[in-house]
Amino acid sequence: MMKAFQWWWGLLLAFSLLALSRVFLPLPFVIEVVIFSIYTMGCSFLLGRVGFISFGQPAYLAVGAYATASYLFYFGTNPYIGILLGVLAGLTISFIVGPLFVRLRSDYFAMVNLALAVIVFYLTQKVLAGITHGDNGLWFLTTIASTPVLDLSRPSDFFIFAFMVALAVWAFYKYLDDSVYGACCLATKINEDKFKFLGYSNFNIRLLAFVIANTTTALAGAMYAVYLGFVSPEISSPSRAADPVIVTILGGAGTLYGPIFGAFAYTGMKDVISKLIGNWELLIGFFLVLIMLAGEKGIWGTLQPWLEKRLFRKAPALKTTDTSTDGRGARR
Amino acid sequence: MTAGEEVLAVKGLNVSYGESKVLFDVDLRVRPNQVVACVGRNGAGKTTLLKSIAGLLKPLAGSIMSGQINLVGRKSYEIAKMGFKYVPQDKKVFSDLTVRENLELGSYATRDYNWDRVTDYFPKLKLLMDRKAGYLSGGERQMLMIGRALLGSPKVLLIDEPTEGLAPSIVSHLKHIFGELSKNAALVLVEQNLPLVCAISDKVYAIKEGRIVAELADRNSIKADVCERYL
Repeated sequence: MMKAFQWWWGLLLAFSLLALSRVFLPLPFVIEVVIFSIYTMGCSFLLGRVGFISFGQPAYLAVGAYATASYLFYFGTNPYIGILLGVLAGLTISFIVGPLFVRLRSDYFAMVNLALAVIVFYLTQKVLAGITHGDNGLWFLTTIASTPVLDLSRPSDFFIFAFMVALAVWAFYKYLDDSVYGACCLATKINEDKFKFLGYSNFNIRLLAFVIANTTTALAGAMYAVYLGFVSPEISSPSRAADPVIVTILGGAGTLYGPIFGAFAYTGMKDVISKLIGNWELLIGFFLVLIMLAGEKGIWGTLQPWLEKRLFRKAPALKTTDTSTDGRGARR
Repeated sequence: MTAGEEVLAVKGLNVSYGESKVLFDVDLRVRPNQVVACVGRNGAGKTTLLKSIAGLLKPLAGSIMSGQINLVGRKSYEIAKMGFKYVPQDKKVFSDLTVRENLELGSYATRDYNWDRVTDYFPKLKLLMDRKAGYLSGGERQMLMIGRALLGSPKVLLIDEPTEGLAPSIVSHLKHIFGELSKNAALVLVEQNLPLVCAISDKVYAIKEGRIVAELADRNSIKADVCERYL
């Protein structure tokens, strides 16, 4: 029981803070933090678990957003179906480009993803302007239908929905982290040659991680589309390509709760500082340098040992070394 | 594969690193449950031979047969799945994973979740299950790597310099373990520890400058002073 609580206390803490922030902070800010943390989760998984840094996340975000937007603009009004289509679009594009991209070394992987973001940006801005309306974007806020139980056209209901989706995504990544597949991802990052000797294909492990991460990103894109009721090429702008990477590193790459802390800190800094001064990006840049110099493990990576030490000071006495060697009890 | 047939037969193997040729027409045969040692000086090509069998290097010419199946051209993870487990020399485990997670990786790949065999050979691993592999000693790492390779009941274990840098007591333990392992699998060892080689080997290949220069297939002829000529 104690062990199960220790597993989940960080998640409970993070989500309690997020729910509490709804009371004290403006709703749009909290919603943006929730969606941004979903957006960052995939990037964090790729970087922290598989060792791939991706500057192409805006491309997958845009694919999810535009698939949802196209449905809601041209074909239907149900936002849930729109989000589902956004996720499917992310899944599809990941399966198409994944086999090509995951063969590459990490540095080339980063660059080729950035190139994809540029391609998607120009496709949505110019080449497919007949469909996407170019820089004017697709506007469909008023066409989103009211839905029973949770009406996603209402921001307060959307917050609850986004909160539940985020919780489900985090629970899924927690499951991945604790599964043998999570260990496989880490093993391919640590030493891909030795991993092969165990009988694994690095390609298959990486492809699955790529698909999972980018489908998560597309989900965030679909949620942005429904929340804003508007999508423009700006969503895939290569100038925003570093955002999820920054938030990942800021929160703590590969940590489960890092994305939520990173998203909270980054969005908060952006919102607060941009109200005070004009060239806010410059100041945020300096802040980021300072934060990373202070703790290269990011916010959560730095906080976690400190919190564990204080919250579970007596925990070691309760811990026993599990010497069970029955592999049948192992995670599968 | 019929009884008595080689579990591994290397024939006319030529391997190079770019322009530099390392192995020249190497022949090697291993029967089931046989312990075969490769001895030779540093740079003779012993590790290259094991890496080629494990699929990490692509030979220029020659064949590596297991029964009727040629391993040349196959990916290393396919070769591992066929029962050829390579334990490399550098003792680099997955340092950020615990001992348990390292074993789980071996189990998941082979669907062999019976760890009793591993812990029977290496009881110390029982006590280290939750320790990160990066914090293990050299001997413990070697135990973990060999233990992990045992999952899935491999046909052939390719073990590169297993005793390098280990304390004599651990070497003595490994000697006993290799004897036990050979009851269920063939072992191909690259080793410079001649007392160990002489104690457990059924056959010794001496490699010099990429060529097999001697094959000692008679246990009576496998003596330290004979092998020492090739080091």
